Amino acid sequence: MNAIAPSPARQLGFAVRPRLRRRELALLAIVAGALVLGRASLASTLAGHLALGDLRLLGLYLGGIAAVHVAFVLTGRRSDQILLPTVALLGGISLLVMERLPQGLVVQRFVGHDLGLAQLQVGWLLLSLALLAVLAVVVRSDNWLRLYKYSWAAAGIALLLAVFVFGRDVNGAQLDLCLGPVCGQPSEPLKVILVVFLAGYLAENRELLAGASTRLGPLRLPPLPYLAPMLAMLGIALAVVGFQHDLGSALLYFAVFLFLLYIATARVSYVALGLLLFLAGSAVLYEIYPVVRLRVDIWLNPWSDPQGAGYQTLRALYALGTGGILGTGLGAGLPSVGATPAIPVIQSDFVFAAVAEEMGLLGALAVLACYLVIAERGLRIAATAQDDFRALLAAGLTLVVVVQAAIIVGGNIKLVPLTGITLPFVSYGGSSLVANALVVGLLLALSDRGVEPPPPPRPRRRVFGPGTAEGVA
Amino acid sequence: MNLPGGIDTFALSLWLLRVAFLGALYLFLLSVARLLLRDLRSVSATAPGELGRLVVISSFAGGPPAGASYALDAVTTIGRDVNNTISVDDPFLSADHAVLTFRGRSWYLEDRGSTNGTYLNGAPVVGLAPLGFGDEVQAGQLRVRLDRPRPPRSA
Repeated sequence: MNAIAPSPARQLGFAVRPRLRRRELALLAIVAGALVLGRASLASTLAGHLALGDLRLLGLYLGGIAAVHVAFVLTGRRSDQILLPTVALLGGISLLVMERLPQGLVVQRFVGHDLGLAQLQVGWLLLSLALLAVLAVVVRSDNWLRLYKYSWAAAGIALLLAVFVFGRDVNGAQLDLCLGPVCGQPSEPLKVILVVFLAGYLAENRELLAGASTRLGPLRLPPLPYLAPMLAMLGIALAVVGFQHDLGSALLYFAVFLFLLYIATARVSYVALGLLLFLAGSAVLYEIYPVVRLRVDIWLNPWSDPQGAGYQTLRALYALGTGGILGTGLGAGLPSVGATPAIPVIQSDFVFAAVAEEMGLLGALAVLACYLVIAERGLRIAATAQDDFRALLAAGLTLVVVVQAAIIVGGNIKLVPLTGITLPFVSYGGSSLVANALVVGLLLALSDRGVEPPPPPRPRRRVFGPGTAEGVA
Repeated sequence: MNLPGGIDTFALSLWLLRVAFLGALYLFLLSVARLLLRDLRSVSATAPGELGRLVVISSFAGGPPAGASYALDAVTTIGRDVNNTISVDDPFLSADHAVLTFRGRSWYLEDRGSTNGTYLNGAPVVGLAPLGFGDEVQAGQLRVRLDRPRPPRSA
């Protein structure tokens, strides 16, 4: 039973044999081909004759992906081979869209140069790829997440409080936190911290939560002390809405919380209770906060204020209609007024509308299919995980990406009320890209068959049934 | 430049380029779908191996050491009698003590009329009790935990 402990060099990953990743390489080749075709289509439309255009940014991006692939091969990682190409395709589509949009939408001065939208996005994409590669290669054990779940939760709450105090308003929502010249949206890393905490908490208390003991009418509830963290979760979600007006993040946190609770306990009654609380909370917020009421009213009838509040949603609907099945082609859609695009914040919240207009229904469905692929891979990693913590962590990380995509795509196509969050891997923005790279890097690390086995369970403090040998010896 | 029939060559090639881009996206998705299907088939083909493991948490002096584990078949019996799948010479164990069965998609635990009873997470087992991964079973002085099956080496 006692395995011989691996040598320190092996543990650190030095004595590794390179291992080819043929499937990943083949898929990445298709991705590269598709992106070059897309770039050529964009350049030809803009130039008015057949052209390849400026391939420097795309080349940089593809070079970054190739470097990540080579790093996985050289370190002999046996992790999932489908996630990286799928994420690479979404990032590449993001780059094409950013190159096509007016570059002046976002301009930042960096070491004496004014960098435009696409240049900044390439920088963020490369940074995210580097983070993803480092996590997938270096992480060989999950103890740093498993053992310190309450520390992570404390860090998350500190981050949240920091936004309450020092946050900066963006479009009426308090989202940005600036540290010197660098600004970011803490709601993005917060979702990862939340999943880590919930996975740790639910894995440790799964049995107690699954075995109900408190009764409330027809509902069977977990023992009361274990209900408190769940009510705290609901409180956090409500506070995020109440104080920051960040509806999207609140919805995402609460949805992922309910999913994980169901995965851990397989109890429909908890989910039903959670949904009831959600409906009650929504009704209260609708009455109290004009922001919430506005979003719901626009969703029900954007025509009530076509030039004001409903403008964004209506333009997105027109963009979807203009796109049709095959799309207008990259570079041919989106009539912009000077440097202003037709849809406000098209580079982040409404990027899906841009994709649907220029790449059509087929392109938009392909993007959605990519999220499905991520869901399949992530849940497979969860299903084959060696213990509860890893299973819940993998499932939670997957859901946080997929549910976020569903919420914002639903908002774009007026299926659900619009809430301002990013489309993972496609929207412009550093916080979003970095946080989602964190998610995929951890998923890749979890999928590696070479990672350390989970630690042995800690002995129970509980006294067991009669006849226990404990206390005798 | 126009082709016969008044078709603009540039418009035609641009249209082909756009369709080729969309086609490449679907070529990618098709390749991924094939890999996923192959992956799922290989899982279902190799599935009947191990259905779960029993890991010993604690036992009496001279019994199986803590941390030892048993791979489980669809029917695994526990008792003192040598004909049991897991046979342990524990004085608190009955000859035929308990049985673990895998039915459909999940595990069940049943007491076989033992003298000292079988306990699931500290509660005595009456009839057929559903069992999840991570649950603790106690029979006699033997405490074991049901763990997930180890992933197959290949694939």
